[in-house]
Amino acid sequence: MLQRCGMGVGMLGLTSLLHEEGLIAAGPAPARALDPLAPRTAHFAPKAKSVIWLFINGGPSHIDTWDHRPALARHHGQELEGFDKFTGFFSREVGALMKSPFRFSPRGQSGKMVSEIFPYLGEHVDRMAFIHSGHSDSNNHSPALFTINSGQMRMGYPCLGSWVTYGLGSESRNLPGFVVMSDPKNRGLPKGSAANWSAGFLPGVYQGTWLRPQGEPIENLKRPAVLNDDRQRAQLDLMARLGGRDLERNPYEAELAARIESFELAYRMQTAAPEALDVDREPPRIQQMYGLHEKNCAHMARQCLMARRLVERGVRFVQIYSGGMENARSWDGHHDIHGNHTQFAGETDQPMAALLTDLEQRGLLDETLVIWGGEFGRLPLSQIGGAKPGRDHNPHCFTTWMAGGGIKGGVSYGESDELGHRAAVDKVSVNDFHATILHLLGLDHERLTYKYNGRQFRLTDVAGRVLHEIIA
Amino acid sequence: MFQVRVMDSARACNHCLPAQLLVIGLLWLGVLPPAHAQQDRSSPSGGGEQHARRMAQGMELFKREVRPLLNERCLVCHGGAQSLGGFDLSSRESLVNSGKLGASADSSRLLKLIRHEQEPHMPFQQPKLPEQAIDVIARWIELGAPYDKPLIDKPASGPPAEVTAADREFWSFRPLARSEPPAGDESWSRTPIDRFILRKLHQKGLTPNPEADRRTLIRRAFLGVLGLPPDPDEVDAFVRDRSPGAYEKLIDRLLSSKHFGERWARHWIDIARFAESYGFERDYERPYAYHYRDFLIKAFNRDMPYDRFVRWQLAGDELAPDNPLALMATGFLGAGAFPTEITEHEFETVRYDELDDMVNTTGTAMLGLTIGCARCHDHKYDPIPTRDYYRLASVFGHTIRTEIDYDPAPDASRAAMEQWEAEHRELVAARGEYEQRRLTEPFERWLQNLDGLPSEDPWRVLDFTEYQSKEGASLEKLEDGSILASGELPDLDEYTFTADVQARDIRALRVEALTHPSFPRNGPGRSRGRFVMTSLKATARPLADPDAEPVKLKFVSTWTTDPADPDAPPPPAGSGANVADRGWRPGAESAGRDQAAAFTLAEPVGFDGGTRLTIKLNFGKLIQCSLGRTRLSISGKPRPPLLVGSGVPQPVVEGMDVVGREGPSGLSEPQRAALLRFFARSDAGWRQRDRAVQSHLPARPIPTKTKIQITSEGYPIPRHNSNGNGYPHFYKQTHILKRGDVSQKEEPANPGFLGVLMPEGGDAKSWFVAAPRGWERTSFRRASLANWITDVDRGAGVLLARVIVNRLWHYHLGRGIVATPSDFGRQGDPPSHPELLDWLARDLINHGWRLKRLHRLIMTSAVYRQSAAYDAEKAAADVNNVYRWRWTPRRLEAEAMRDSLLTVSGLLDRTMYGPGAMRSDMRRRSVYFFIKRADLVPIMMLFDWPEQLVGIGRRPSTTIAPQALMFLNSPQARRYAEGLARRLDGFQGRRAVQQAYRIAYGRTADPDELEAAEAFLDRQSRSYASEGRPDASTLALTDYCQALLGLSEFLYIR
Repeated sequence: MLQRCGMGVGMLGLTSLLHEEGLIAAGPAPARALDPLAPRTAHFAPKAKSVIWLFINGGPSHIDTWDHRPALARHHGQELEGFDKFTGFFSREVGALMKSPFRFSPRGQSGKMVSEIFPYLGEHVDRMAFIHSGHSDSNNHSPALFTINSGQMRMGYPCLGSWVTYGLGSESRNLPGFVVMSDPKNRGLPKGSAANWSAGFLPGVYQGTWLRPQGEPIENLKRPAVLNDDRQRAQLDLMARLGGRDLERNPYEAELAARIESFELAYRMQTAAPEALDVDREPPRIQQMYGLHEKNCAHMARQCLMARRLVERGVRFVQIYSGGMENARSWDGHHDIHGNHTQFAGETDQPMAALLTDLEQRGLLDETLVIWGGEFGRLPLSQIGGAKPGRDHNPHCFTTWMAGGGIKGGVSYGESDELGHRAAVDKVSVNDFHATILHLLGLDHERLTYKYNGRQFRLTDVAGRVLHEIIA
Repeated sequence: MFQVRVMDSARACNHCLPAQLLVIGLLWLGVLPPAHAQQDRSSPSGGGEQHARRMAQGMELFKREVRPLLNERCLVCHGGAQSLGGFDLSSRESLVNSGKLGASADSSRLLKLIRHEQEPHMPFQQPKLPEQAIDVIARWIELGAPYDKPLIDKPASGPPAEVTAADREFWSFRPLARSEPPAGDESWSRTPIDRFILRKLHQKGLTPNPEADRRTLIRRAFLGVLGLPPDPDEVDAFVRDRSPGAYEKLIDRLLSSKHFGERWARHWIDIARFAESYGFERDYERPYAYHYRDFLIKAFNRDMPYDRFVRWQLAGDELAPDNPLALMATGFLGAGAFPTEITEHEFETVRYDELDDMVNTTGTAMLGLTIGCARCHDHKYDPIPTRDYYRLASVFGHTIRTEIDYDPAPDASRAAMEQWEAEHRELVAARGEYEQRRLTEPFERWLQNLDGLPSEDPWRVLDFTEYQSKEGASLEKLEDGSILASGELPDLDEYTFTADVQARDIRALRVEALTHPSFPRNGPGRSRGRFVMTSLKATARPLADPDAEPVKLKFVSTWTTDPADPDAPPPPAGSGANVADRGWRPGAESAGRDQAAAFTLAEPVGFDGGTRLTIKLNFGKLIQCSLGRTRLSISGKPRPPLLVGSGVPQPVVEGMDVVGREGPSGLSEPQRAALLRFFARSDAGWRQRDRAVQSHLPARPIPTKTKIQITSEGYPIPRHNSNGNGYPHFYKQTHILKRGDVSQKEEPANPGFLGVLMPEGGDAKSWFVAAPRGWERTSFRRASLANWITDVDRGAGVLLARVIVNRLWHYHLGRGIVATPSDFGRQGDPPSHPELLDWLARDLINHGWRLKRLHRLIMTSAVYRQSAAYDAEKAAADVNNVYRWRWTPRRLEAEAMRDSLLTVSGLLDRTMYGPGAMRSDMRRRSVYFFIKRADLVPIMMLFDWPEQLVGIGRRPSTTIAPQALMFLNSPQARRYAEGLARRLDGFQGRRAVQQAYRIAYGRTADPDELEAAEAFLDRQSRSYASEGRPDASTLALTDYCQALLGLSEFLYIR
């Protein structure tokens, strides 16, 4: 039965990974063992149980946010000698070095220099570990998005959230294990759309469940108008009775039990999921803290609150995209970096800071890893050609921070060069980034594998180093 | 200081290296060595002289102490035999670019690792270096870590792997064994297959199950062959039919059903990663890709020999260029995802990715080999050197995805055209004969007495000597002097017209846009009625002086016949604007109407001895908005009345001039003909005959051309986002790439095939075929590949047969003889029944590669027909049923499930072929879903639809709650239930329940099930009735049907 049951091919990889063969041997049907989302033991003791990735979509400018580069001001207006004009996206709009239009000031005990666009998040620097030396391989949104999400530039590979859910299952039986939220302000999906939360070659059950920004967030969650709860319950009871007879006749077919079980789970999801997403139940104090009624950040407040409620209920991995597609629709400040980053920081600063505060006060921050970061950074040069100076893509350097979930607070790892052009000291590859996150979740990135098309695949391919330096 | 180029490093090894081989070592892989070594600091380290001194010291230290140390303790893992963790210190270049060196000893990560201040401690799992050695390295780093030369001389590429005789001995590469079905117990066996199976079962101490009951069998066969459930009457008839061979007859009937092809085409679509959009961020649609899907359905239904099926997918455009089906088949190669938004940096990589997609898919689909693993290095497991990979890539080097117009019924079109032309010739001849007989004399008389132009019309219609479309549209001159476009419909175009005129006072130019029945909405634009002329440019030069610089004509005012666009006032004098630069841009409402625009020249033009006018109409703005039929005229007045459809042909006017000057004898032949035609219009008899000619013109048959997406060479390429910045689509020469990196090109790769699937010393050239004489468009490289891949004696044909035989087995029985249907290499599973596999492969080859025969063979076997009964004892010996002691039940795939739901609910629309649809509530079979990569049909995704990015040989089969939500809550589920309930109309009470069971499960309900049904129906009816709903019993029945359709009995092949 094994190779077909429940997971087909996928279950094989999973079972060998988790040494569960015993569970699926012949014998009366062990329905839960076939549930691909059943919680599983990690490789070693995890520091974090769940992840909230605040995806700063479009390529946030590290030098205008968290990576203070005073030398840039000194060289303002000068040309960057030897610059390869094909580094960014627009080879014909390369300007001179440009200092940050934002003021930086020291924040927290650690005195971390933070851009003025983050008055709220700046309060939390002592909880954050900054990685200033991230670098990617593509200067183009979607390949870079695929890279930071799946480790590969091409479509078709499982993303981090899928690997994590595959490795650990979900603590929640009534909610999806991996949830993705995108921009609800009609600015589109991140470039490459659903491929960014794809399970690739992993079984489809591990792909991110995308909450539709308008209308019903999850498909088929609402019962047909004609059925009330009582009548639907009667349907389920009938199905359990008939299915149960079938199972009695075929007691060894584990999938039969799994399917009956799946209907009960679906029934519970109908109430559990709307409840989990109903942020209007939060007390006014909390709503206020997130900025749920502030015009410019209400949407992110709602999403951050939903994220908290989801991890509280055992959801493993939540990803929230700030911003939609390219240019003015996300942090992609090609034309007017000042206006763009002021706007998007304004949309996110208060809710994201509130999320950290809220998780902390509930004792959830210890077990919830919060990540802030996008697909690449931006160039220290100005991009000309727009009405106002902007900045073009920079795959050579970007900043990410993490907080909670076993992260050492108030530290910075790696450095960009003095102009913030390239990662220079202790460079951190995307593989390192992924390896570190898996490690915090108790997963060994070299042992989390899946056999597909003739070889064992890993999220980190053949590389990846856990950044112990930022782990508490 | 900043020109260090970061290269694509993940690519260096992102496909194939198995994790376990490379675990340890420095767990770091960042940036590969860039092309040129470079100090990686933003500030130089001191003045020039001091720098030189430090350099010399460092170099000395390196030669004396550091090099031996590195050679002895580090190199073997990091840059010698391997570069674990991607860390390579064999040269300064690679060390610097690892980022681990650091600017000083203090910041050096390398030093921290060897000092054991950070993990992993180095040298890995070996004694720490002596403190003194560590100090030496620290000093050397402080001095800038110079090298005099790399630690080792690396060859440009490693020693090329050679395929050995031993490699060819691997089971899947060997010639077919001469296996005979073993003799043995004949009571259970029905076919030779069974004898192989039975022997193995006995060897394992197992016995097979008896035959399943007839109801199970017919359901199994229907769902397996057609992906549709049987009609209840068919089930009953089969159960009653006790005649010998009843089952075999059933199989034959199913195999000849037109729905067979739809089911098996979908299996191949998985394998071929076929989809109808580009994927990536834009995910543009490929609206004409569906022809490939239709090819698959037709090929399977017609039982196309499998070798031809393969050959056409690789090279149908070369092997059978006149056969539409063969062209459609080439959709295979171009079906992969492709990023249309590409930066200059990515051009070449993207093209090599595309080649990789073709090589890889060909490998997994047809040969069950993961050839793609050899892109960056020789295959780690299978005897596929990187060289062979690039030779195969080179076969596809010039191959591109394109769209062509083709005529699905060329013979019928030709016949219709011939008939029309014959009719037309007759009418033209009748008119000509009338001219000859009745007009010659009056015409001559008229000529003699000619006195000036008997017409007030101010416009002279130009008679072009040349007319051309820049982008290859066909232009044709009609009798009224207009030019008709047909054939190729480029996105943007420019027409150039040349006319020689005698007039010396040209003051205005008229452009007429004329309708024609050959265009959608009758034109005048070619594709949607609408046209947008971006600009008009005209030049004039003296006819007598071909070397004269043509004069650019300037137009100062323009007006049109469009009522919405009144006369534009002439621009102020001296404004310098040429109004013709603004072109003519009528609105969308211009479709279906004849119309004109006129332009007034700034100064009259016309040279003595004649003028050559060259006029260019540009259509460079909106896509496919070029003019379908147009006519140009000139006038001697600056603002003559703007009429449409009027004008005197220019040769007539000039002919009259000639007559006036020299008399009729001075007329040229064309002038005389033009005058005759002009004269004839005044004759009623001629006009009648001419009307017959004219009214016959619209009857000219227009071949129903269909656009089809194919993969070929030498055709124009459909535009996409990156045309604008110069994406070349393909490169003439394919190179071997070191580590798959386009910036590390090695020698050119010429077309070739896999050495392991050739005899020792074999030469790919022996399969090469040359293009037929006169054929230049394609290279015939793919035709050569097709020869090799189907050659059972010396090429890959044997493996080709093994793989397809196994795929059929896999789809029929849920698990292949080789359990990894797309991997017949060392990493795949070995065959559970190698002799059977070879016997089936030989049988296929010996019987003309006919797949239906193979289907029949498998389906009539006792193995296929056995029951699914579970036996704990047998399961203990063979839990995975590898040896086939029972039928393993399995869930229907997404398509078969949905198609079954549509069937039992009576909603299925059986329309075959043509463009697909994306809506979940489409009622055609699921194979007709339009597969859009970024927007895959949700209901299909719930049930493990593949993402169509790479070929998939076996799908996973999951059981998850969202599937249950679909059955419980989706509008579709409700519709299916309503449909099934409707089919129970006329059946009352228990009989309705029985009928529901018959339709859904092919059996009747037992008493217990009946009781459950009655209790439920009663309860739901009362519940609905209590709300005063008049349709309470229908609703209850619908609720009941909905429950039945979500149960496993409906969803599984048992």
